[in-house]
Amino acid sequence: MIREKKSRRPSVLGIITFFVVLMVISPLLIIIPTSFTSTGVLRFPPQGFSLQWYEKIFDRPEFIESFGFSLQLAIITAVIATVIGTLAALALHKYKPRGSGVISSLLLSPLTVPALIIGIAALLFFTRIGLAGTFLGLLLSHILISVPYVVRLVYTGLSTFDYTLERAASILGANPLRTFWDVTFPLIRPAVLSGCVFAFLTSFDNVTVSLFMISPSTTTLPMAIFNYMQESLTPLVASISSIVILLSLVFIFILERVYGLDRLFGSNSHAH
Amino acid sequence: MNSLLRSKGFIATLLLVPGLIIILGVFILPMFYMLMISLREDMGQGAWTLASYAHLFKDTYYVQILWRTVRLSLYTVCVCLVLGFPVAMYMAQATPKMRGLITFLIISPHLISVVIRNFGWVVILGNNGFINNTLMSLDVISEPLRLLYNELGVVIGLSDSLIVYMVLAISTSLYAVDSSLYKAAGILGATRFKQFFSITLPLSIPGIFAGTTLVFSLAMSSFVTPALMGGTSVKVLPVLAYEQMMASLNWSLGAAIAFLLLGSTIGLVTLFTKLVETKRYKEVFSS
Repeated sequence: MIREKKSRRPSVLGIITFFVVLMVISPLLIIIPTSFTSTGVLRFPPQGFSLQWYEKIFDRPEFIESFGFSLQLAIITAVIATVIGTLAALALHKYKPRGSGVISSLLLSPLTVPALIIGIAALLFFTRIGLAGTFLGLLLSHILISVPYVVRLVYTGLSTFDYTLERAASILGANPLRTFWDVTFPLIRPAVLSGCVFAFLTSFDNVTVSLFMISPSTTTLPMAIFNYMQESLTPLVASISSIVILLSLVFIFILERVYGLDRLFGSNSHAH
Repeated sequence: MNSLLRSKGFIATLLLVPGLIIILGVFILPMFYMLMISLREDMGQGAWTLASYAHLFKDTYYVQILWRTVRLSLYTVCVCLVLGFPVAMYMAQATPKMRGLITFLIISPHLISVVIRNFGWVVILGNNGFINNTLMSLDVISEPLRLLYNELGVVIGLSDSLIVYMVLAISTSLYAVDSSLYKAAGILGATRFKQFFSITLPLSIPGIFAGTTLVFSLAMSSFVTPALMGGTSVKVLPVLAYEQMMASLNWSLGAAIAFLLLGSTIGLVTLFTKLVETKRYKEVFSS
């Protein structure tokens, strides 16, 4: 009797779970078939089959350019944010300097304020110091929103690190740099790599900060799609989005393999 | 020199400097500068004034927008709670493999730009979209339902992007529940219904609380979803702030709206915390 009840309960919850998961992934799943429509109307189910909306991407240079620009920006952001964040996490975890509590909450502080407000503040300040609308301004704002994630991920990664390994290396005559490259870094590499991929995605997906930082010559892909969507809704958005979805999936699988999405999000959700 | 390089404090400082420069230069200083602009005339140079804030509260137009932002955020919290709780319960009793799969499926869309997810919703909810086409071909409706470019569209879009926070917050608190509690309750004759209200619900309160504050604050400040799924008719504070900054170029008002948004979010979350806590204290003292 009890057993029967037990097996029945998950099934009701299971059905709800199935529909919620479907609700969360369906907006992305539905875009891909839509992009192959042969008509000019955005409709689902799509009619006919053609690749014309993929060919039409090439008629819109702003999408090709912003795609390349977004990739460049995201890669530079990821590299710089990873270096800065990893160094800071190492300093906090290894040396535990005076006031490290204050310093770490300072380093994580951008996560406590909405991105929109960070964008507005940066626009006002950058206008004052002449950085508004420049590539450097956009890059700095993207680094700012990525660094806290890297610090968090690498700091968590260091929590299982055994410092006696470093001591052993230095006793055997390795200098600090060599110790870092040969001993410390290989052991925290998964955390650093995850931080790097997460920083890449943070920059590549961002709209709310970019909104205030871009200029006509420095428009990111999400911003180009956002602007285009406000004027017209055609299957062109579907074909561009499909490409971005497939590209993002590659990175998502890397993250899942290297670090595990649950751990990644577990550490983020507390920060907001 | 050598001893300086080997001193721990020096190395630590050296490693921390780049990060702190970014945080101070791109975040802390700009926030203070924005505060000055909202509080002083002539772009933070002139006399102190509260004119920008007074302007926001004098005009019912702005108060209405604030109220709409709060209301839509509350709706979103309700949808996320009602839909997210069963998912968290299911995850808590599922096998680790199933748990991992659901976590992956529910988090990964979150790593793709919200612009693209909202576009997917436009395809689903639009006049020629999946729902309207299906319902019309089944002759359930003769004219397409208006599911987009209104408050409903915004709440659907926000719930889709924020439910992940609610699910993860509640499931984390449910993972910690000792399963022998259910066994004991069952032996003592408690029904499923009773078990839910005396075990699952009370023990998930911290998770519900964390999820609620998180979803609420994120909903209050979202810009993309209201702009793309609400259209021009559903104006919320972040959209208003963007317009003032980029279209009207009224930067002191834009800065004031930013602080109104920040202040109202923090204020409401604090109020909620206080209400929940005093209620909890009362329960403790009365029993």
